Amino acid sequence: MKRQILAGNFLASPWIVTFLAFWLFPLFYSFFLGFTDFRLMRPDYNWVGWENYINLFRDKAFIEALINTFIFVIGTIPFTTVIALILALLVEKKIPGQALFRSGYFVPSITSMVVIALVFTNLYSRDGYLFLLAKMLGMHPPENGFLLSSKTALLSIMAMDIWMSVGYYMLIFLAGLKAIPEELYEAASVAGASGRQKFLHITLPLLNPVTVFVIVINSIKSFQVFTEIYVMTKGKYGTSSAVYFIYESGLNRFEFGYASAAAYLLFVIIAIFSILQLGLMQRKHY
Amino acid sequence: MKSISISFAILALLLLLQCGGGKTDGVVIEWWQFWTDPAIKPTIEKMIADYEAANPGVKINITDLTWANGHEKIVIAFSSGTAPDIVELGSDWIWEFASTGQIAPITDEVVKDTSLFHGWTPATLDSQIYAFPWILGTRVLFVNNALSTRAGLKDKYVPANWEQMKLLCYKIDSLGEDIYGFGANAAEKHTLYKKFLPFYWSTGGRIISEDGKYAVISSDRCYQALKFYKELSDSCGMIDTQRRLEDAFLAGKVGVIISGDWLLKRIKRGNINIDFVTSLIPGPEYPGKSFVGGEYLAVSSKSPHQREAIRFIKYLTSKENQILFCKTNYSANPSHKEAALDPFFKDDPNLMTFVSQLRLSEFPPPDPQWVYIEDIIETMLEEILFKNAPMVETLYEARNKIQKLIDSK
Repeated sequence: MKRQILAGNFLASPWIVTFLAFWLFPLFYSFFLGFTDFRLMRPDYNWVGWENYINLFRDKAFIEALINTFIFVIGTIPFTTVIALILALLVEKKIPGQALFRSGYFVPSITSMVVIALVFTNLYSRDGYLFLLAKMLGMHPPENGFLLSSKTALLSIMAMDIWMSVGYYMLIFLAGLKAIPEELYEAASVAGASGRQKFLHITLPLLNPVTVFVIVINSIKSFQVFTEIYVMTKGKYGTSSAVYFIYESGLNRFEFGYASAAAYLLFVIIAIFSILQLGLMQRKHY
Repeated sequence: MKSISISFAILALLLLLQCGGGKTDGVVIEWWQFWTDPAIKPTIEKMIADYEAANPGVKINITDLTWANGHEKIVIAFSSGTAPDIVELGSDWIWEFASTGQIAPITDEVVKDTSLFHGWTPATLDSQIYAFPWILGTRVLFVNNALSTRAGLKDKYVPANWEQMKLLCYKIDSLGEDIYGFGANAAEKHTLYKKFLPFYWSTGGRIISEDGKYAVISSDRCYQALKFYKELSDSCGMIDTQRRLEDAFLAGKVGVIISGDWLLKRIKRGNINIDFVTSLIPGPEYPGKSFVGGEYLAVSSKSPHQREAIRFIKYLTSKENQILFCKTNYSANPSHKEAALDPFFKDDPNLMTFVSQLRLSEFPPPDPQWVYIEDIIETMLEEILFKNAPMVETLYEARNKIQKLIDSK
């Protein structure tokens, strides 16, 4: 038995070492760094207590990045959730080409974000198709393209993100829909319930745990929005996000202490947001 | 149990191999560099092979970096004590590494060579030289000759001052709705300020006073330069990213842009059919100044082979090798002054524009805090150019921020 335990530990050791070295240690070390003025390449650093956290709240760039992140989260999640649910309901029906639609909607979520961001950068530019389409429809897109205007840059990135994410959440909703017992719908039909009533009183309530899951997961992901901003605007035109701010502070200016404090602040915000969402949405269990 | 024993045996063997491997007689110099383009890489490899053949016992190990994350890798390598012997640095990174003692002062070894090379400003901190200038890069004015002649200007017209530049841009801009006079940069990081500063420097303006004690950007000269640049940008400018401006210039949609020798290379390699001329960046009355940056070679202060590393750097930056490099890469700005006299440059009017502009170019002020100062200048430009913030107040705000940085040293 002892030999088996030893062998098990030996075989698991690469993962354990990786976990300790690259996950657990950085997690605690960055928490410690958040209370110092540590900068890469400078061997001396001082304990500054809460100074980094206080400075973050005085830092216009961080506050702007945080506001943008909240706009991104609040602006994308309702749309992503509702569209994903509608798509799940549509592709659940047995229609010709059902598999094609399912795969079609899912493909963007398995495509590299960098690739999608580059494609959309072109689509949003002054000679891009989306720009020209907007013009053809009589709209007045910003003169230099959607991404080079503070009024439209963040909204454009949000729209792209919704387009990219819905397929993934559609699949989760689809799994949720499949788990609802068919008998409930049959019983409702016998009782004379309309399609709308079935949706409101069977589908939606029974999908509640899935909806909570989708919203929480999507919120966490949206709070960490980075790649698309890095590729499309580099945080310019009012698009800087909290994670982009952390990247700039940490990997551009190498202010690891300050960046660590910002990262932990974001962690606390995400935790509070997730707990609130879980609390609000899991009141009813079916 | 048997399988565990085998696993241990393999692990032990691997460790033994690791310990025994990598042992080489002589000197091994690790060199990190950014030239990964297949057009130039074989030339660099050939230079290394020639050097190794001429110096038995010396081996040069080359590692490629990319501009996307090379800076991060270098910083992490220096921080973790795993930096290479020689590292290629962008001109605006040198102060950061020099001020923290990561790269070695090489003054004694290179002081005799200083008169032969351009570009010592960013390599010098507190009277010590920390890096060797290799290939520099300035920016010049590109004018679409087909558009300017269509606009009624004489063939090969180039503006010599701001008034002429304004006239040229306005005339081209009035050719049609899809044609713009001037390619104005959008709020693109590390780019926008490089396009504005030449106009400011052309007025004789400075960002920091000569003694390094005061921020002096909120001057009347800066106001004049901003007014001129904003006027061009607002009234006849296509505002876009550098790459897209260059695309538009090559497509005949923009008359005048500021760009570097990479655009010449693109035109040449792509066999792009475009009638264009290059000229010095105009100043208020006479040809003005431009922005210059470049590639530098520095030696890690922890390198055990500093002397050998400097020898190799001197070989790489020699006149012959710089000419060879520039010919292969179609680069316009060798740091070696004599290399620039080669017929390769003299016979090509566009390359000569770059060679001439280099003498009229400035580096950003040598300051370890430049990364923050750059950020402040870019924010100021974004506020004024794209958000129509009041110029005077925004200039003062930027000055105060830079002064705060200077005072905090």
